[in-house]
Amino acid sequence: MKNSQLYKGSLNTIIMKLLEENGKMYGYEITQKVKLITQGELNITEGALYPALHKLEAEGLLDVEIEKVDNRMRKYYKLTESGQKETVNRLSELEDFIRNMQSLVNPSPKLEF
Amino acid sequence: MKLTTQQIDQLFTFTRQHYLEWYDLQSELVDLIANAIETQWQENPNRSFDEALQLEFKKFGVFGFMDVVESRQAVLGEKYNRIVWSHFKGFFTIPKIILTGFLILALFYFLKEYYTKEILTVTMLFLISSMLPFLFFENRKMKKRKQETGKSWLFEKIISNYGTFPWLMILPFHFFNIIRIDRTAYPSDLALFCMSLFIVSMSLAIFIVLKIIPSKAEAYLKQTYPEYKLENV
Repeated sequence: MKNSQLYKGSLNTIIMKLLEENGKMYGYEITQKVKLITQGELNITEGALYPALHKLEAEGLLDVEIEKVDNRMRKYYKLTESGQKETVNRLSELEDFIRNMQSLVNPSPKLEF
Repeated sequence: MKLTTQQIDQLFTFTRQHYLEWYDLQSELVDLIANAIETQWQENPNRSFDEALQLEFKKFGVFGFMDVVESRQAVLGEKYNRIVWSHFKGFFTIPKIILTGFLILALFYFLKEYYTKEILTVTMLFLISSMLPFLFFENRKMKKRKQETGKSWLFEKIISNYGTFPWLMILPFHFFNIIRIDRTAYPSDLALFCMSLFIVSMSLAIFIVLKIIPSKAEAYLKQTYPEYKLENV
């Protein structure tokens, strides 16, 4: 994943946000969607995606569904009810984080006399 | 261009060759790799299946599928512990607490009357070794099932191996090493009560992992894997 240290902490929130918008998604679809939205800037690797998905599932925030597509099984992930509530919390936390980072990196000029 | 059924089978074989023996993870990663190969073919229709597969596998890094397996194992291990804990708590709430309390008191009065360090050591050794034959038979049962269905499930393995419980059973020995009971002195009532509580708790934990959970294994597997139902109809 590009700049992995910076993105790592937000991976779960990114996944939850995508699921909130798209209903149910499968692993590959998530990686492609992120790539598309960020115009190839952010590439979630399989080694990072699945641990995150499995952890969210264990926390009861995601639910899984299996469908037979073409000649194979496809595992879809979707938000549970508590997952939907948690997405709202985590998004607002992330927005606060972005705002704080912005003020730290780009402080608005102080008027000093 | 879509992958053929034969190529999907080849992908399953590929995952097995790369030490991914669990069907639940195999099927998830096979779909992922299959999608990625199909995307590659949209851009490079002439690329061979093997070449595309190698390109995708490289993306998993030097440890291959290990990261995915380890994370799944950790998550399912925690799930198993939560299941054990929920059964265990059940023995300390009404109505089962009546039985648990009775067992603790019975053991307490027995130890009060007949306590010797030999009795304590033999009881502990018996409890710990009681897991071994079950462990052997459960593993044999799982191997047989794998031979019949060609599939093994990670959570099934955790249930058959009793999670990390066989390792936890070594803990009492450390416990006794640390507290260094004065072997000549007769223990106080409080010490005897703690021993009784500890031995009964340990026996309950063993009963849960050896009997209760394996008897409900099918239900837990269905709950963990929606695909389990599809595969075992």
